[in-house]
Amino acid sequence: MSVTEYMNPEQCACHSPQEDRIFAKSRHEKDKYEDTHKRVFKMIERFDGQTPVIDVERALYFTQSMAKTEGQPLVLRWAKALMHIAKNISVSIDEDQLLLGRAGSKLGRYGILYPELDGDFLDIAVRDLPTREQSPATISAEDAKIVMEEIAPYWKGKTYHEDLNNGLPEWVHKLTYVDPEGLISRFVVNETSSFRSSIQWVPDYEKILVRGFNGIKAEAQAKIDALDIDSPVAQAEKKPFLDAIILVCDAIVLWAHRYAEEARRQAAACADPVRKAELLKMAEVADKVPAEPATNFYEAVQSQWFTQMFSRIEQKTGTTVSNGRMDQYLYPFYKKDIEAGVITEESAMELLECMWVGMAQFIDMYISPQGGAFNEGYSHWEAVTVGGQTREGTDATNDLTHLFLRSKREFPLHYPDLAARVHALSPDDYLYDVAETIKYGSGFPKLCNDEEVVPLYASKGGTFEEALDYAVSGCTETRMPNRDTYTSGGCYVNFAAALEMSLRQGKMKKYGDDQLGIATPDPRTCKTWDEFFDIYKQQHELFLRACFTQQLIVNKTRERHFAAPMLSAMHDLCMKHCLDLHTEHIPEGADFGYYEFMGFGTVIDSLSAIKKLVFEDKRVTMDEIIKALDDNWVGHEALQQLVKSCPCYGNDNDYADAIGKELDRMCVEYTYKYNKDLGINNDVRYVPFTSHVPFGKVVGATPNGRVDWFPLSDGSSASHGADINGPTAILLSNFKTKNYGFRNRAARLLNIKFTPKSVEGEAGTEKLVDFIKTWRDLKLWHLQFNVLNQETLIAAQKDPQKYRNLIVRVAGYSAYFVDLSPDLQNDLIARTDHDTI
Amino acid sequence: MSTYEDRKVKGLVFNIQKYSVHDGPGIRTIVFTKGCHLRCRWCSNPESQSPKPQMAFNPGRCISPAKCGYCIPACPYGSIKDQGGNLDIDCTHCADCTTFDCVKACPAKSLIVYGEERTVEDVLKVVAQDAMFYSRSGGGMTISGGEPLYQGEFAVALLREARRRRIKTAIECCGCIPWETLDAAAEHLNNILFDVKHTDTEKHKWGTGVGNELILSNLHRLLSKYPDKPVLVRTPVIPGFNDDDETARAIGRLLKGYANVSYEALPYHRLGTQKHMFLGREYLMGDVSLPAGRAERVQAIVDEERGVK
Repeated sequence: MSVTEYMNPEQCACHSPQEDRIFAKSRHEKDKYEDTHKRVFKMIERFDGQTPVIDVERALYFTQSMAKTEGQPLVLRWAKALMHIAKNISVSIDEDQLLLGRAGSKLGRYGILYPELDGDFLDIAVRDLPTREQSPATISAEDAKIVMEEIAPYWKGKTYHEDLNNGLPEWVHKLTYVDPEGLISRFVVNETSSFRSSIQWVPDYEKILVRGFNGIKAEAQAKIDALDIDSPVAQAEKKPFLDAIILVCDAIVLWAHRYAEEARRQAAACADPVRKAELLKMAEVADKVPAEPATNFYEAVQSQWFTQMFSRIEQKTGTTVSNGRMDQYLYPFYKKDIEAGVITEESAMELLECMWVGMAQFIDMYISPQGGAFNEGYSHWEAVTVGGQTREGTDATNDLTHLFLRSKREFPLHYPDLAARVHALSPDDYLYDVAETIKYGSGFPKLCNDEEVVPLYASKGGTFEEALDYAVSGCTETRMPNRDTYTSGGCYVNFAAALEMSLRQGKMKKYGDDQLGIATPDPRTCKTWDEFFDIYKQQHELFLRACFTQQLIVNKTRERHFAAPMLSAMHDLCMKHCLDLHTEHIPEGADFGYYEFMGFGTVIDSLSAIKKLVFEDKRVTMDEIIKALDDNWVGHEALQQLVKSCPCYGNDNDYADAIGKELDRMCVEYTYKYNKDLGINNDVRYVPFTSHVPFGKVVGATPNGRVDWFPLSDGSSASHGADINGPTAILLSNFKTKNYGFRNRAARLLNIKFTPKSVEGEAGTEKLVDFIKTWRDLKLWHLQFNVLNQETLIAAQKDPQKYRNLIVRVAGYSAYFVDLSPDLQNDLIARTDHDTI
Repeated sequence: MSTYEDRKVKGLVFNIQKYSVHDGPGIRTIVFTKGCHLRCRWCSNPESQSPKPQMAFNPGRCISPAKCGYCIPACPYGSIKDQGGNLDIDCTHCADCTTFDCVKACPAKSLIVYGEERTVEDVLKVVAQDAMFYSRSGGGMTISGGEPLYQGEFAVALLREARRRRIKTAIECCGCIPWETLDAAAEHLNNILFDVKHTDTEKHKWGTGVGNELILSNLHRLLSKYPDKPVLVRTPVIPGFNDDDETARAIGRLLKGYANVSYEALPYHRLGTQKHMFLGREYLMGDVSLPAGRAERVQAIVDEERGVK
């Protein structure tokens, strides 16, 4: 075979099922699942690849109402605004769709605006959105005019972002923003609260399915009737809150009823008897839910979807109003209907997939450039949680759990984000189904570990029952829907910048003479490792101080700007205490916030190289290292190789892992001490989304051999190419850098890549399950796999640096693909061909 | 031998490979040791053959003498030179070298020494790092080579000590060692992977440099003495050497009637070529390749001959 033949990924014999589908599509063949998923395929066909459109209706009606209610209690103003929107926003129904509920008039892929949050970016956004590199969007000239003339002017000087920008002390501000207006992020001690009203959230959907919004409205009315009419708190605070609850319950019901009317109108005009019947059925369902309790599977799914979409209209929570434990709260409805013969597995899956289509169409737009950089590719994570334990601690899996996993293998888009909870008693039929789904190759489901999350949550304010009932939200975080209360978006702390500052006396290559950090002594004067590490610590602690100070201001600013009456209506504690979910502190609530450790691997490996080469082996001087960094390693290639050969994180190497554990310890100790001041759990987390790329862009060359502006290591993963001891070592390093004696930790994101070959067949599935079981017993928080092959192998030949960690099966063992010569790489591809003939 | 004696036994190890999932049950760590009596023409681990530490050079990793050159003054024999921007290494003295200063000087890991003296304790410390994975997958330690029993005392001490620590053990063995050594090791092994390359001793000699008498007699003694021990017999299917139907039938006949034996035909691969180059050795197989389906055919014939489905 010639090399060019090898380069065609389709020549390889062992594909992940996902790759098979990609190849089939490129050959214009019909998708394997098209016939069994006709309806959703038709819908997807119509918007696939479309650039999202900005829909301005929500922002316009919201602004109109808010302009008229100034001075009133914020939660009431918000409910009035939602009622104004519910009355006026267009109700539109997608062709073939079985579920009602969209957040505007535009069909296809669309996003909406939240000017109350970041309206000061609107003029930039309208100018730049259509052409920007990451996640562009289009806006019609007419809508742009509405934004510029009717929406943006009202919010000038009133947005959350402007208030925060003005509220930060100078020393925090300069680590947060570059410019006085706070429009350009510094990417050092970085706030994320201005592009989401709250960090991710899981509403208690079950409550709506069981009680309906009319049930909650009745509860609010009963509370009003029972108020002490002589109490000023009751009159000035509780009454407006309860009025808001009633109003918002009416608003969502009114909105649903308008959909029912629209469905009936379309049915009357519909010539196709099948579609006509569908529309009439949809109208009948929307007449009933979410006002009343759901009585069957269809109503339950529709009720959830109305609630989910209305929560999008209510506020922006940052891509992550998650779906909760769907296999739990939908199961009673599913079971009843399946047993009664009203639905089949296929019809249930079709309805769920109608919801996945709705999610895929609604783009959670980030209009600020910073938000775009954090969430490239329109990424959003309305996590659906499956598996795990019941509130009594027994295994919770059921038939619906397996149906969700099956849908993940068959539905062609990457929505919803699927999270599988794993615990000590997870049965093999579940773990094998999970492993088979992982082998499908698209990275789903991600795994979340009950053995880490449940005890942590029980120790941080949840009861064991609540902790056992947690649901995944966002990319790795989790929530207890009636115990958690709101926390603002957390701070992303670029500790690689702290490292750079420790070498540059508080300055950074990127920012020249700006004295951003502490003017620590010249590291060239350090006689011992301890002396140097003390300098690093000073910068590290400065960042923590800035992070916590910023967070306190953020938390106080938030409640002045946001309210969420609908999500408050769904929360036990908000209803009990008559407080909006955005209130800084709610009695009995537990605020689970976090701050992000950016560049964990980068910092560990850099410190390890300095410790070893400069202070222990005395092989190079600090001056040589700093000169090499100044020159971005050019002319210092031998030294660059030398630093890369030092112990690195991700190899189960005690030397490197001990440094990592110390870094983590500095964070958890500080957190333990000052969380009390904040009144929230502001715990350390290692989850970057795609942000390790923009954060890397401000950090000059680092002593681990990394060059100027290169991405930082991501999450709790190793630096690029530094982990050379295989996947077991990655898990063990992760384990060994944690301080289990502290509870002040949140999620750690962990990515591992496998090829389809290394998990091939039943034996491969079994080994994947064994690997997962070990991860579970190591009590690591999160794990996700990439199972990919040919395309990546070939891409890896072209760009080996980027694909350093790709594991391939070689002869009797697995090896890193890029460690093999090109000849061997091709040999491997050829041999794979032979294997299947 | 007591545990304290075993722990101190030293051997020459050239690699410890974690997360091995294709040799023996579960998730395993492979300990590769130096030394082998065979000289297989297709050897994919040529660095394993010599019982001594061995110098090698991977030019792909070298960042050029102009940018580095640390190795040039490091060599005590002055055998490394900058030849027009490339390293010119005269290996005349490498075999006598005991300090490998060039390897220590090389920051790019381009100069390599295969083989490091390590104690049983030291090796097991590394192996035990993945113990959590063994207990959940039924995996453990596999010793391989070379011929791992070439360093018989070390291998037996390593296996015995591993079993004391409840680490399950396996061996990849070519069988060309004294029976007493194999017998001593077998006692401490959970699984045995045993190579049968050819049934004809002349052909065997052509392919591996030695006849097969000792190997076959060891196999029979092993299978007779340990009737309950799982043994996986494997044949690397080499084009033009043992990929014919007749050889496959002979292997099948050889294994007929042993209940504890399973069989696997492994397709020839060229994964050793690069390491031959690093060692400055010629790869004797050239660029021949195994016709598609041959290994599967050998497998089918052997299974048929043995009456195994």
